[in-house]
Amino acid sequence: MRLNRGEHKHGLETVIRLSLKDYFHERLLSACAVLGLAAVLAPLLLLFGVKSGIINTMADRLIEDPRNREITPVGSGRYGEEWFSAAAKRPDVAFVIPQTRSIAANMVLYNGEGERPHSVVVDLIPTGENDPLLEKWGHIPKNETSVALSNTAARKLNVTIGQEVIGRVGRSVAGIKEQVAIKLKVVAVLPIEAYPREAAFVRLRLLEATEDYRDGRGSEAFGWPGQARPTGPREYPSFRLYARSIYDVTELRDTFFEQGLEVYAKVEEIEVVQSLDRSFTLIFQLIAIVAVFGYFASMASNVLASVNRKSRHLGVTRLIGFSTGNIVWFPIVQALATSILGTVTAICFYLIVEVLINHLFSQYLSAGEYVCRLSLGHLTVALGFTVTMSMMASAYAAFRVAKIEPSEVIRDV
Amino acid sequence: MPSPEPSGVKNKPIFRLDKVSKQWSGGNGFALTVPALTIGQGEKVALVGFSGCGKSTLLDLLAMVLRPDSATEFAFIASQDEPLDVIKAWGRKDLNALACARMLHMGYVLQTGGLFPFLSVRDNIGLTRQGLGLPVKDAVETVAKRLDIDRHLEKLPGQLSVGERQRVAIARAMAHEPSVVIADEPTASLDPINAEEIMGMFTSLVDEYHVTLIVATHDWRRVDERGFRRVEFQLKQDATDGIVRATVCG
Repeated sequence: MRLNRGEHKHGLETVIRLSLKDYFHERLLSACAVLGLAAVLAPLLLLFGVKSGIINTMADRLIEDPRNREITPVGSGRYGEEWFSAAAKRPDVAFVIPQTRSIAANMVLYNGEGERPHSVVVDLIPTGENDPLLEKWGHIPKNETSVALSNTAARKLNVTIGQEVIGRVGRSVAGIKEQVAIKLKVVAVLPIEAYPREAAFVRLRLLEATEDYRDGRGSEAFGWPGQARPTGPREYPSFRLYARSIYDVTELRDTFFEQGLEVYAKVEEIEVVQSLDRSFTLIFQLIAIVAVFGYFASMASNVLASVNRKSRHLGVTRLIGFSTGNIVWFPIVQALATSILGTVTAICFYLIVEVLINHLFSQYLSAGEYVCRLSLGHLTVALGFTVTMSMMASAYAAFRVAKIEPSEVIRDV
Repeated sequence: MPSPEPSGVKNKPIFRLDKVSKQWSGGNGFALTVPALTIGQGEKVALVGFSGCGKSTLLDLLAMVLRPDSATEFAFIASQDEPLDVIKAWGRKDLNALACARMLHMGYVLQTGGLFPFLSVRDNIGLTRQGLGLPVKDAVETVAKRLDIDRHLEKLPGQLSVGERQRVAIARAMAHEPSVVIADEPTASLDPINAEEIMGMFTSLVDEYHVTLIVATHDWRRVDERGFRRVEFQLKQDATDGIVRATVCG
């Protein structure tokens, strides 16, 4: 005398329909449960929104900021090609480029257009492919006649992207002053936070030619006159180097110390940011755990109270002959309904406040930055999580339903 | 006391009980013993007695929602089916086999309530058919018409009078055309006129559907007129342990 699988399915369908109809019939109580859940979940979502928004914005700003990943040599040394190719091969180095003598690495830039000419002395800074500073804030000059200007240099020259400036390099040979000029096209103007002083980011070969010219030598490539430079490998007194990520900086610095190089890196600042990030994550986790327990307790007590209240109806369901396996779904379906509706309500509240918060703080944010932000993926995870939690919270209630004895509950007291 | 029907039942049996007992211990302990009880298919049986005499206990045992302490035999033989050894099913805690037999072959009418307040009358009556995956609409409307509640089909039970609710409960017990309907004082909460009318409808419906009917009642008078077989209870208080011992005779 067994029902086959098909008939079992009808029983389950009927119990689910019963459960949902009861849920709708008691819509005031159901709404209370939904709002109760939303009240727990909405602040939690906001908290995570703020964490993922503000902390990630901070992290992007502080942790991924190329300036924090820079390792600068102190004083001058002698670095050959071998040293640079070895450094470039290291997996923890994102970018390394030689730097010529600082005393020779400058140039007068001249803008002859407009009513009156502008000129400024700029530091020449070598750049090349994958330069993190220029990748973040500008464009990398593609050839020797392109230049990326710092904000102050561009302002003093009164130029913008696309305009041309003339670069002049002077020297004194046996008491005679000489000068060469080169036309440079402005391909980028970096914001002030990228580089505060007057500077021009150019390809290394232009820097080398400038240094050679100052030394009395000529450059075939640029057509600058002078003696031929001696053959043999070139040595550089300095370099620009960026670690792959903020987490590589300390180790990289220590490696250089071991090589006997004196370098400067923002290790202390990085450690502050990292420990801040860790502390925030810990605090958010603790809050989340407390909230999850609260939600679990509230959900479990709701479902249990409802099951106790409805024990007579559930007993009648049993009396009619629905199987235990079907009846246990009665509280679970209602818990699922509460969790889905509650999460959707909480997400609606959250989205309203998210827009409000981001609007209030919009003046402190650049494009693509948020104080409060959760992705669709985050919200889907939140929904999946609450659904799972509600299933778990209704497990004991379902167990109680399975244990209901119809003979004890079907008669009025 | 009139003697009950002869023990040789004419029809095939639907229930066959032998030495079934159920006992509650404690200060006001109660024990029910069914020495031998056979109920035939299509038979109408009235369990008659005062409240507290064990009627509800026997009904719950027959409805297979109460586990007997012991039994020599307890068989439920629904039509076109293998007999279900109820005591064995209890023994292996196969509650689903019992529930399944209830859904397929039984209807149960409670004294009051038992309807789902959140379901319309139509859904209440059709519930068991839905659970079995049977077509609902026509069967529900037919039985509702026979019980004169077809104009209430879309209402909720809360909008009906007590008498109308009992008709809905009877309709639900009958709608899936069970082999046996068990009713626990179905008219006890009604006024005599309503009770009379509903009981009349109930019994004629049962006759028409060829359903076995087992009713618990303390309404002695009309039972014989309606062709019920009486099953009575003998009560005796045990002087030593204070337990009330009821024995079914019929």
